[in-house]
Amino acid sequence: MRVYNRRNLTRPPGCQRIGGSSGREVPNYRAASSLYMVHSNHHLKRDASVLRKPLQKLQSHPFRPIIPLVARISDQNASGAPSMTLREKTRLEKFRQLLSCPNTDLDELRKCSWPGIPRDVRPITWRLLSGYLPANKDRRQMTLQRKRAEYFGFIEQYYDSRNEEHHQDTYRQIHIDIPRTNPLIPLFQQPLVQEIFERILFIWAIRHPASGYVQGINDLVTPFFVVFLTEHVEDDVENFDVSTLSPETLKNIEADSFWSMSKLLDGIQDNYTFAQPGIQKNVKALEELVGRIDGQVHSHLQKYEVEYLQFAFRWMNNLLMRELPLRCTIRLWDTYQAEPEGFSHFHLYVCAAFLIKWRKEILDEVDFQGLLMLLQNLPTIHWGNEEIGLLLAEAYRLKYMFADAPNHYRR
Amino acid sequence: MAKQYDVLFRLLLIGDSGVGKTCLLCRFTDNEFHPSHISTIGVDFKMKTIDVDGIKVRIQIWDTAGQERYQTITKQYYRRAQGIFLVYDITSERSYQHIMKWASDVDEYAPDGVQKILIGNKADEEHKRQVGKHQGMKLAEEYGMDFYETSACTNYNIKESFTRLTELVLMAHRKELDGLRLASNDELNLAELEEDGRKADGTANSKSCWC
Repeated sequence: MRVYNRRNLTRPPGCQRIGGSSGREVPNYRAASSLYMVHSNHHLKRDASVLRKPLQKLQSHPFRPIIPLVARISDQNASGAPSMTLREKTRLEKFRQLLSCPNTDLDELRKCSWPGIPRDVRPITWRLLSGYLPANKDRRQMTLQRKRAEYFGFIEQYYDSRNEEHHQDTYRQIHIDIPRTNPLIPLFQQPLVQEIFERILFIWAIRHPASGYVQGINDLVTPFFVVFLTEHVEDDVENFDVSTLSPETLKNIEADSFWSMSKLLDGIQDNYTFAQPGIQKNVKALEELVGRIDGQVHSHLQKYEVEYLQFAFRWMNNLLMRELPLRCTIRLWDTYQAEPEGFSHFHLYVCAAFLIKWRKEILDEVDFQGLLMLLQNLPTIHWGNEEIGLLLAEAYRLKYMFADAPNHYRR
Repeated sequence: MAKQYDVLFRLLLIGDSGVGKTCLLCRFTDNEFHPSHISTIGVDFKMKTIDVDGIKVRIQIWDTAGQERYQTITKQYYRRAQGIFLVYDITSERSYQHIMKWASDVDEYAPDGVQKILIGNKADEEHKRQVGKHQGMKLAEEYGMDFYETSACTNYNIKESFTRLTELVLMAHRKELDGLRLASNDELNLAELEEDGRKADGTANSKSCWC
């Protein structure tokens, strides 16, 4: 368990130990993991007796509650949750202070954001960290107006072309994928929301012909959309009826989501161009990195002929969004936006930490099928901020130890 | 310990995005159907063990993403498949037209003796049908494939088509299987046999396997 040995840990900026539990054993999710073999990530059967039965017997259990994926996107300070601790209040105050300065100190804002952004200030902080809004407070409103108008100018200019011959393939693919985006969250099944996603994705795709629309990019809109929506929704985002918002508000959310997503994709476009070189490169880098940090897991995978591409392709293509509940992705992105090259570089270390997180479960599997089933369906459905905090701390440690020392631990 | 299976091999699902590849697979392995299944990214994996003529066959099934951008990745899986489903959607003429392209990819990237079946999925959506059943049959005949119209939604011809492709693969490997019956305690890993053969004669395909 070298990786969980936290002596000599370099602590990420502002990262606190959570409840003194950072050294605890990773809970054994193995029993629950078999569930995932049978179902896509959004289902869970809770019956304990069912849990223990082998895979084949799990098939037709009627009781299948849907675990909310978005309702708990909040930090601990959501309404309905216990009131804020003193520390959380101090943090929120610090954010408010930074954000209200005539010129927000972005370095300081990143530092504060690394361990997670309080829900109340997350939308504005994301807009700033993504580079969508300027640090100068007086210019923000003007920028918003200008960018929103610009986006709707694109819509006016290009959106009608979606039915033209040369854009048909793009539009068709987007149109197929929209109902398949978070299919179990009611919010994303509303026609108004689906239309917003279609416009955002289509405009982005035709403005970026080198990659165009690639499946998975649809997922990348959702964290932005949900976060900007929380500015207008008290609670229960996943069931919120967006038609109760004014058209103006919805338009603003749409434009802000478009621009924020564009900024994110600017940094990782080679993930989606022909032959997806960015992903190929990152999967290789992951393999190489894991070989250095945990030889046992690495050779276990090799022994059973599991290739990294078979599970990590999706980790890179969808930035772990398919492996984690949406609330966790949102928390993860707080850090990705606070970390220099978070999406394009730091993500690699998060993936390595994520893989090693399951080392016990991995080493318990002794055939190819079992390993692949596990790795393609990792049981994270109950994950929250704490697990993500630990994952990020580990990723930070790995980056610190290995990024600038390519020969470190090389055998 | 009783052995879990006698034979192991790999099947592959290919076809345009949205024709229902993942739904076919979920219906077959888990007997489940979700009308809006989350899209497949890269390649997904499932398995199931079925009994064919008293032989316990474990099949690994690779479910691929249909979008063109993923084909650099998905093509890597062709060469290791013993059986391939080419899937179109009977409510999409376009997906039917594209079978030609999928079939030529199979010719190019899959091993010579690979077994193929043509599937016209979404047969329950009769009111939206764009591809006649005879068109499917005709195309299958041209390519020398078996043909099934299926519906993952109503569970129509799912088990039949998976079993059929399994049988075809078994028949194509009769020689190895006869050996298996003699030494019934061994498991036969077709996938590995084939790869060993490839290593031994140093060519892309070990033709000696195919009878």
